[in-house]
Amino acid sequence: MLGSLRDGFRSLRFNWGLVVIVLVTNLALALVLAVPLAFQLDAELAHKGAASAMMYGFDHDWWSLWSERQQGPESALGPELLGGGFALKNLDLLLKGWLPAGLFATGSGKRPVDPLVLGLGVVYLVVQAFLTGGLLAVFRRPRGGWTLRGLLHGSGFYFGRMLRLSLLSLAAVYVVFALNAPFARMVDDLAREAVSGRTALVLTLGRYALLLAALLVAHMVFSHARVLVVREERLSALLATLSSLGFCLRRPGAAAGQYAVAVAAAAALLALFTLADSWLTVVGFRTQLLALALVEAFVAARIAIRLWLLASQLELQQAAARRS
Amino acid sequence: MRPRNAGLLLAALAGVVPFLSDAQARGPAYVPPALPAPAGKDAPGLPPLPDASPRNASYTIDARLDPDKRTIEGSLVLDWRNTSDQALASFPFHLYWNAFRNNLSTTARGEGRRAPAERLVDERSFGWMEVKSVRRLGEPDEDLLPTLSYLNEDGNADDRTVMQVTTAAPVPPGGSARFRIEWQSRIPHGSVGRAGWVHDYHFMVQWFPKIGVFWKGQWNCHPFYTWTEFFSDFGVYDVTLRLPRGFVVGATGRLESQTSDPDGSESYRFVQEDVHDFAWTASRRFLERRARFEDAGYPPVEIRLLLQPEHAHLGDRYLEATKIALRTYGTWSAPYPYPQITVVDPAWGSGSGGMEYPTLFTGGASVLAPEALQSPEGVTIHEAGHQFWYGLVANNEFEEAWLDEGFNTYMTAKASEHSLGPEGWGRRFLEADFGRGARTGWPFVAPGVLLPRGSEYLAGLRGGGEADVMAKKAWTYRDGGSYGLNSYGKPALVMQTLEGLLGEETMLKLLRTYARRYRFAHPTTEDFLATVDEVTGGGWRSYFAETFFSADILDYAVDVKSEPARKPAGFLPGPDGRLAYTAPVREKKKRKRGGPDAGPFESRVTILRHGEARLPVELLVEFADGRVVNERWNGRERWYRFSYAGAEVVRAVVDPQRKIVIDVDPSNNEWVSDERQAVRAATKWAGRYLLWLQNLLELHTVVG
Repeated sequence: MLGSLRDGFRSLRFNWGLVVIVLVTNLALALVLAVPLAFQLDAELAHKGAASAMMYGFDHDWWSLWSERQQGPESALGPELLGGGFALKNLDLLLKGWLPAGLFATGSGKRPVDPLVLGLGVVYLVVQAFLTGGLLAVFRRPRGGWTLRGLLHGSGFYFGRMLRLSLLSLAAVYVVFALNAPFARMVDDLAREAVSGRTALVLTLGRYALLLAALLVAHMVFSHARVLVVREERLSALLATLSSLGFCLRRPGAAAGQYAVAVAAAAALLALFTLADSWLTVVGFRTQLLALALVEAFVAARIAIRLWLLASQLELQQAAARRS
Repeated sequence: MRPRNAGLLLAALAGVVPFLSDAQARGPAYVPPALPAPAGKDAPGLPPLPDASPRNASYTIDARLDPDKRTIEGSLVLDWRNTSDQALASFPFHLYWNAFRNNLSTTARGEGRRAPAERLVDERSFGWMEVKSVRRLGEPDEDLLPTLSYLNEDGNADDRTVMQVTTAAPVPPGGSARFRIEWQSRIPHGSVGRAGWVHDYHFMVQWFPKIGVFWKGQWNCHPFYTWTEFFSDFGVYDVTLRLPRGFVVGATGRLESQTSDPDGSESYRFVQEDVHDFAWTASRRFLERRARFEDAGYPPVEIRLLLQPEHAHLGDRYLEATKIALRTYGTWSAPYPYPQITVVDPAWGSGSGGMEYPTLFTGGASVLAPEALQSPEGVTIHEAGHQFWYGLVANNEFEEAWLDEGFNTYMTAKASEHSLGPEGWGRRFLEADFGRGARTGWPFVAPGVLLPRGSEYLAGLRGGGEADVMAKKAWTYRDGGSYGLNSYGKPALVMQTLEGLLGEETMLKLLRTYARRYRFAHPTTEDFLATVDEVTGGGWRSYFAETFFSADILDYAVDVKSEPARKPAGFLPGPDGRLAYTAPVREKKKRKRGGPDAGPFESRVTILRHGEARLPVELLVEFADGRVVNERWNGRERWYRFSYAGAEVVRAVVDPQRKIVIDVDPSNNEWVSDERQAVRAATKWAGRYLLWLQNLLELHTVVG
């Protein structure tokens, strides 16, 4: 497992530009909502004393009133995005079934994120389904280098199959959430009747952790299926999924171990970012540029971890093929 | 995976935990400023503190808890004295637990957490109180059971929370009567109301038949409305509780004796003078912690904390918060007179958190409790603080809830800010909905975000402030939200505004005078206003008309227009006095703004009143040459304009010292000429939004 991670990392290092490509798609989509927000905030804060408070800290009174008036995607702006809160908020959305497009959310509570944001997520998923084939095609060639044209060619070539795999993956995630719903109710009933608040806390957080683990297992199976499609030129998404399932079942330690390392790397990255973020006091344009660079470096590193995992999965399969 | 690798992974994951909680939110240790010394019993310039209450409703109670059947068997002897000038033959009693008898009671028909529609309903949700015997003791005893009837002032004939009995001979003014009542109760589950059981945790409040208050020429004994429940006369409570062995028991008053009974049960006798209610709790799981409050100038108080084992790490915070309340409220009103206070940490799943009873109150805590969020400190200070208003001043909470909850909310915020510093902002992720008082999930504290005192109530005031006049009977508010706003948030802001306008010293004298004069006295809103008149010399009635007795909201704003001073042009008097034409001079370059050398400007500063409420307000205007002007406006019209010539206005602030905290939009109170800050702030926060959104998009790849 460690060897595949090492080889995957080497593969990513030779093709680091792929991280930039994915980052650009990510940033471009996010800017669709962030840029209008910047203009809106500028207009709302113009000539207000709150501007200074928001520049150097946070003006709760201003934000409280402003957020009451927001109905669209900008309503997500709040203090919970500070520190490591953005990651918790996103994890919360994922585990409550809001990603993508609120497909797996249950209950009649208020929608926590605007439909436009959720719609953007769907677009991003399609873009990533498009790019995955091209990325894997690059990783398939050891030290092969890449061109944008080659990447796009590979992406287009595999797009149909990758899209079908994405749809299959969503169906599998739907099953996970469908099975989770009665399980969550049962656990919550147990937690409600618990003698100790600690037991209730462990049960609640435990059921979310189990759900996350189940989602990662589903991701593992479908990610290996994507690798199989490219590595073995499979035509059937369904058969590739079944083969991938068999592969993962035959090598559960190696397949899951890669995920454990990736999750740990992502957690460590988040800790590093949060630490750096807390040290960086934004006081002017220069520090703002630094903060934005830090944000993009963090997102790039996060994307790199995903691509590293993908490359490592390819290496793991190739190593297994060589052994057999 | 190898164990060593797994260990490294776990360590990496554990390392991220502090970054997602409150580790960054903790600042350097906060040192509170000095408090004024508490006023002694006969402090000059203040009313003397009474030694004792009227003690006209004293109870001797004997009760047995059967934790298996969830029942209470009890008998009480009530010694009641007629302090009115009327002979009385009818006597109403509260039977609170009949609120949980079925889904037809006034409480159950109301809106709120006790209403069946809003909670899980099964058999255990219900409870009741049945009076088996009522007698007037004397020579001879008089059986009053045949006269028992139920009162329904709200027209709900299904409600049995108030009974009335009638004696053959009336009790004359100044005369006394002794009643003996035997009753049986079934205890509701603790998730329904405040009283109840959860596993072996028992919280027994409003648990015995309690006589109403003869007040303002009539009996005041309201049904158990959904939101309010307190109004009783003071007396001496001598209560013996019998339980199976092994329980830790806490109650109002001091433990006089604890004896083992031959039947295997344990008897606890608690006694307390000068209180108007009695509450108790019992659980086998309680951890017991003790501390002593003995600051100079205050009577010493023994603090007994009954803690859930999973909250053992919060014990010191509970105890310190109780001391903060005893210290701050004690000096800002009048010192706590009882020698002990019991703090109860409620069990998981119980709705008893955050409640006050004489010398006993409940807090409320979560296992994960970041210090920055001041929980359990906030609720502890609030409920301990109730001892000073609900407990000792004892206004009619049914009819003027704001006099108790509003005062207390105002002082909780003041005490917390003084002793703990500003509260942080946080929210919980990955939680599940278990109802009130049962919080799980992972708490997140936003680093660097602090809540200004009182600001948490402004959103409610903006959203629902115009629904109801503040000062009205609690059950007549439009809905639960309006009750909460007008009993807690709005009066707290009104009192904080009053503090800002009067100044600390006068406010201190006002609170002390009111708390001392009306200790044990059931005061009304008018009594408070009379105290304001007395302490301030009058002139504040219009303030209360705009706030207490109004549903209007207040919002001041400021707007500034500055333009370069005009160079004279057109037909103007010439040197010879005749009109002569002067051609306009066009400036080649736009004049630089903001600097001291920018040339003369003509500025107009306009104060706007968006809300209907009107208060006098101050204005601060700063000019580019460093000049500062202070203005004052009476707020009567919709707007008022000040004009200035000379240097350009660079900043204008309405209410610069933020005295009027009831202003629902403080962010439009300050105008600045500098636009660069807005651009920078907008970029900064859009960048933070970008971070969130980019990560959210990337997270989609987990499922697709």
